[in-house]
Amino acid sequence: MRILVIGSGKMGASLAQSLIQEGHNVTVIDRSDTVIQRSQDTMDAMFIHGSGVSAATLKEADVQHADIVIAATMGDEINMLSCLTAKRLGAQYTIARIRDPEYLSTLPFLQKELSIDYAINPERATAREISRMLRFPYAGSVETFARGRVEMADFRAAEGDPVVGVPMREMYKKNKHLPQVLFCAVERGDEIIIPKGDFVIQAGDRVHVVSDVKTITQFFEALNKGSSAIKSVMIMGGGRIGYYLANMLLGMKIKVSLIEISEEKARQLSELLPGATIIQGDGTDQELLESEGLSDVHAFVPLSGRDEENLMAGFYAVQRGVKKVIVKSNRENYSAIMHNMGLDSIISTKAVACNSILRTVRTRASRSTATVERMYRLMEGKAEALEFIADPNAPYIHVPLKNLTVNKDALIAVIVREGQVQVPFGNDTIEAGDHVVAISRRPGISDLGQIVRR
Amino acid sequence: MNYPLVFRLLGRLLMMEGALMAPSLLVALLHRGGDAPAFLFTIVLTLVCGALPGFLLKPRREDLTARDGMAVAGLSWLLLSFFGALPFVFSGAIPHLADALFESVSGFTTTGSTILRDIEGLPKGVLFWRSFTHWIGGMGVLVFTLAVLPRLSGRTAHLARAESPGPTFSKLLPKMGDTAKMLYGLYFALSLAECACLLLAGMNVYDALIHTFGTAGTGGFSNYNLSVAAFHSPLIEWIIAVFMLLFGINFAIYFHALRREAGPILHSEEMWAYLGLVAFAAVGITAAILPQYPDFFTALRYGFFQTTSIISTTGFSTADFSLWPLIARALLLLLMCTGACAGSTAGGFKMSRVLLLVKSAYRDLEHTLLPRKVSVVRMEGKSVSESTLAQLGVYMFIYLCVFLVGGILMTFDAGDLTTAFTASLTCLSNVGPGLGRVGPAENFAFFSPVSKLILSLLMLAGRLEIYPVLILFSPTVWRKT
Repeated sequence: MRILVIGSGKMGASLAQSLIQEGHNVTVIDRSDTVIQRSQDTMDAMFIHGSGVSAATLKEADVQHADIVIAATMGDEINMLSCLTAKRLGAQYTIARIRDPEYLSTLPFLQKELSIDYAINPERATAREISRMLRFPYAGSVETFARGRVEMADFRAAEGDPVVGVPMREMYKKNKHLPQVLFCAVERGDEIIIPKGDFVIQAGDRVHVVSDVKTITQFFEALNKGSSAIKSVMIMGGGRIGYYLANMLLGMKIKVSLIEISEEKARQLSELLPGATIIQGDGTDQELLESEGLSDVHAFVPLSGRDEENLMAGFYAVQRGVKKVIVKSNRENYSAIMHNMGLDSIISTKAVACNSILRTVRTRASRSTATVERMYRLMEGKAEALEFIADPNAPYIHVPLKNLTVNKDALIAVIVREGQVQVPFGNDTIEAGDHVVAISRRPGISDLGQIVRR
Repeated sequence: MNYPLVFRLLGRLLMMEGALMAPSLLVALLHRGGDAPAFLFTIVLTLVCGALPGFLLKPRREDLTARDGMAVAGLSWLLLSFFGALPFVFSGAIPHLADALFESVSGFTTTGSTILRDIEGLPKGVLFWRSFTHWIGGMGVLVFTLAVLPRLSGRTAHLARAESPGPTFSKLLPKMGDTAKMLYGLYFALSLAECACLLLAGMNVYDALIHTFGTAGTGGFSNYNLSVAAFHSPLIEWIIAVFMLLFGINFAIYFHALRREAGPILHSEEMWAYLGLVAFAAVGITAAILPQYPDFFTALRYGFFQTTSIISTTGFSTADFSLWPLIARALLLLLMCTGACAGSTAGGFKMSRVLLLVKSAYRDLEHTLLPRKVSVVRMEGKSVSESTLAQLGVYMFIYLCVFLVGGILMTFDAGDLTTAFTASLTCLSNVGPGLGRVGPAENFAFFSPVSKLILSLLMLAGRLEIYPVLILFSPTVWRKT
């Protein structure tokens, strides 16, 4: 597909890179010559120097024939205007990054009037992601499929866990008390493994399991990973994510204390968030954290603008025994090190936004009806968890799975039929309209037919 | 240097060259000139030498750095020229290696200078290969490889940039592979058009192909001692003159024409400057040589042909211009310096650079009169950054240095200054003939082997725009990473 990315900042560049890897024809517009010079060497895209709001620049970028236009510049207004101009010039589908809370309430109106097909608010999406992770404190991260019926969660296997040291095929023979979930992927070192029958989980592995919501919860209870709900959260940093998150958590009746360094901002926040305790002070100051009761809260979420501060504060909280710590860090390449040091839940605004845009792009890219409903990337995209709706005309319909060929590096995790979640076995079939969740180590899958063949 | 990656790339390129020799083998077999075994042997040797590193090496890092990309460009052209010289040696057509190397480099760099005294006595397969190297070298081997093997390496922009002529390289389509395919598509279509015209004008297939290769790559090898004059056909001369002009235009123009976008074509300052200079020089030369020829149209034909031949750095000749008046020769010398448009198959300094230098000189002169005036240099409707202008000045300086050093070194063999310096200029600009003892009716055979190697290096430096060749002399490039 022909995709036009306006603005080659952190998000734009990372998005463009992923889109190129998926084989799309990408054109990037940026106002800075130096950024273009630098990116040209590393990205196989066309670069155009100019502003995304200028019709001449957009025309030069061949916007008339663009399938998708993504506006990801610093300014919300520029993004909106770029999308409007692009749409009027003939672009098929427009995506704008709009992050100012002021626009939040009027967003549906703005989207309609400015013909923006999809508005992404990375900070709000990140806050929503964090609030979901806080609801499931036992897991490093939780992803949902099939309108929330299926969940994929991950945990770090520890010495003494009943799942460690047992081959997959004997897992439930040896552990009769364990609820049956599907072990769909295991991260070990830099590698991601799709476990087969003779695979043995070792202590230290990061294990991803899939099942319906109830079974997953029971599974974690049986593992003694504890699932007592989180009742109080301390947030460090009152930026946009902090604000959105506090708002969401207050709505869930969770006690929120928020630390903000700027006095003026702290005042504003206390006006906007009457239910929260706003503390003015430096969140990296350990004494302040202690005096405000860090050791007593159930969860700590450092969200300041600096990754280093967040990481240090996060490590400190882990050390002080806080049950759940979620750290915001945009440096994905450090996540392996952080996992090793005990920080399991890391969230990056860039990754959240990129993933949801990639999901949209891939849904549009796929021509057949068995489109990707949802997509999550594991380990910076080394593997993907995908949800498809089975196409009634596909060759794999109504054939027992044992007679189908499944890709070597892929796995059919669950099939959801009429609300019933089942882990498939050899005699099961995929029927028209089923939601199918699959794991693949090959990125860029856009159709179930690429995974299952007759 | 990431040795495994670089050597794998070079290996793949050699295999590509082996495959590209197949048509010449076919021609050699058809004409039974006794040169088929030489081709067969070279092809096998090239394929083996290429396949060993091309398939056996497994680099740990796949990312090509900018420095390695440049080194690959320089090294690959050296290697291609070396293996391209082997058929000349093995067939006995050009027994000495230095001579064969000069001829091969002259072919690949689309220069068209020759050390051969009698071209017509050579076997047809060898002559076909000699001209075919023009066609390969014109658009570039690396670009061809990118078109055929798009997934060669993650970062391929460096390669294309190192090889494509001009101060900047702009893609026509978002993907490098698609851009390369588009460029070769346009190149192929234009070549086909010329070949068809030449056939209609009465050439036989073999001659038509040879002269199409010579024109399309803006090289200038002919299979006749008299070059294009051997046909005694004004029609053929006009066809070739027009196509030489066309191949000197930036291929992006044809791309826009294909997409029916008039704007970029009308606003292409470089193209208009090029066409303007051609018109000016053609008129000037025609006027100067008018007394030597019977009528105006003959003079115009010779004047126009030689103008397009030299400015497009092709180097075909229909008349011995070393016998022309001094002013006509001086004009030709000017065209030799400028060259044609960036992004075409032509060599030389490139019109876009000349234009930018003129504009920046005008701006600086204006600045001495109006010291407080702020102005930017604009080109094709866009402002040009100061760093680009600074780089351009440095490039011109290095270009001049290389030309002067080359000229001085040539004085040992040349005998007179005109010969020495035009030999250096014609090789650096990839034109072909010079003046004096290297004029259009002469050849480069009298130079010593050392001089021939130096001239070969000059041709490579000119084709690759100096840096990829120059950096090979830097130890930093060879350090293992």
